[in-house]
Amino acid sequence: MFSNIDVSKFVDLFRFDPTDPLLFNSSLFLFLFFVLLAVYLLISKNKIARIYLLTGFSLFFYYKASGFYCVLLIGSAIVNYFAGKYFFRFDGLLKKKLVLYVAIFFNIGVLVYFKYTNFFIQIVNDVKLSQLNALDIFLPVGISFYTFKALSYILDIYLERIEPENNFMNFLLYISFFPNILAGPIDRASGFLPQLKEELFISDNYIAKGILLIISGLFKKAIIADYISTNFVDRIFDMPTRFTGIENLLGVYGYSLQIYCDFSGYSDMATGIALLLGFKLMDNFDSPYQASSVAEFWRRWHISLSSWLLDYVFKPLQMKFRNLSIFGNALALFITFVLCGLWHGASWLFLLWGALHGMFMAVSLFTKKPKNNIYGKLGLKNSKALKYFQTFITFNLVAFAWIFFRASSFANAMEVINQIVNFFHAPVIMQFVPGYPLVSFLLAVGFILHFLPKSVGLKFEEYLTKTPLIGKAVLLALVIWIVIQIRSAEIQPFIYFQF
Amino acid sequence: MISERLKKTILETLEIDNFDIQPESTADQVPGWDSLSHINVILAIEKEFNVRFKGVEVMKLKNIGDLQNLVDLKLSN
Repeated sequence: MFSNIDVSKFVDLFRFDPTDPLLFNSSLFLFLFFVLLAVYLLISKNKIARIYLLTGFSLFFYYKASGFYCVLLIGSAIVNYFAGKYFFRFDGLLKKKLVLYVAIFFNIGVLVYFKYTNFFIQIVNDVKLSQLNALDIFLPVGISFYTFKALSYILDIYLERIEPENNFMNFLLYISFFPNILAGPIDRASGFLPQLKEELFISDNYIAKGILLIISGLFKKAIIADYISTNFVDRIFDMPTRFTGIENLLGVYGYSLQIYCDFSGYSDMATGIALLLGFKLMDNFDSPYQASSVAEFWRRWHISLSSWLLDYVFKPLQMKFRNLSIFGNALALFITFVLCGLWHGASWLFLLWGALHGMFMAVSLFTKKPKNNIYGKLGLKNSKALKYFQTFITFNLVAFAWIFFRASSFANAMEVINQIVNFFHAPVIMQFVPGYPLVSFLLAVGFILHFLPKSVGLKFEEYLTKTPLIGKAVLLALVIWIVIQIRSAEIQPFIYFQF
Repeated sequence: MISERLKKTILETLEIDNFDIQPESTADQVPGWDSLSHINVILAIEKEFNVRFKGVEVMKLKNIGDLQNLVDLKLSN
């Protein structure tokens, strides 16, 4: 019987394959994770063994995703670890600043090299300064995330918010922690490192929360996002002129739901997996489309990134421009959001998406007082109707900006907008629902779930916390089985992997 | 101890009538003190006490007690 098993195929599973990274929704990961969890719980009393086990697994996980660039990850951890130590050791302000600038230069330099070199080459070619060839540069997965983690560590030491970590393995684990290495949340050292020093205690509540998050993440990603992307959104954006304006609009709304489900689904799974290991990561999403202003949207969307940009980019810029009063604030906002766009990708479209959000924020800054006056006079100030209206407007502004995020080119984005504006044909909706029944159903379910109040989720959590462990395990196994049955044949990678 | 002058400047800028500002109080505990109004508070303090802060100094502040200490430091120079 055993002579039929091809050992080399088994070994291949562990080898690096760039087309097949260890995604959370793959069966190999599932298997390996349960093995890890079993070993982890066995050795849980030994803090050192725990750290080594997790770090080893994290590095293996990263190797499966990015092969040789695992070395860059470890190298980055080494550089930043020693930068933190030397910063503390040096006395003079000048020496401290030197270490700071070297560390920042290293991190940003690595990120810029891998991510933006070809973009700069393209710009140079476009303005006809020269005719350079694009370089063959592979973008190591997760580099935007772990570089930002490292930068937050260095900057927090400089700002005297934390002390440098004395144990290199702890720091390496912080940088490489597999749940959030590939697509965040971008956890701060001040939140993560202290957890490594505590006794391991995985409470019933952690297990319940973790399982619910994994279930919710799987459902959002594997069922909603994957399905509506391949069966609807991709088709619209591939050929917008083939569809009416209302279908394009639904495509845009569909993409808004898709990217939320894809990204927050991944964050949920990452956070849930970390909870099962006894770690609490940052919340990354808080029902963002419930926001009644673009500013509020950014306090609810990709929270780990927006708070990073707030603390390390916006606040210093705000101080620099403070003598320009409201214009200074607006300028600081605009620059921050353009950088946010640029972080997402090396293309003009991402820059434009960022700039749009910067513009929305700046405009709302200038119109805040006049709007409040008008609402006051009309007696609308705290009315529900106003809130719904503002939420509706905010959602549409955000959806509009997503067009540029998703489109393959500026022309493609304009095609979508043109169809919506000039060829709306609203009655087509009657044919749309029977034509795309499952898409319509998932869109409806997705948005309804999004607008449910928090108390619903908390009730489930309470109930599951009290359920015995075997019940929790059965629920998780059941959901995984359902998802395996339902999902499409090919695993769709997470959108945010390309960042 | 937070001086009455500093308390008054903060409360007036944020347009709130009263709030018990203690040395351990942080900005997010004070109603209306968000990242956008934060800069107005800093500007008002600079104007009221005729001092000038460096960006890094403000970013290092952990609570209003730190802010009071920074103002005192600037005034004694």
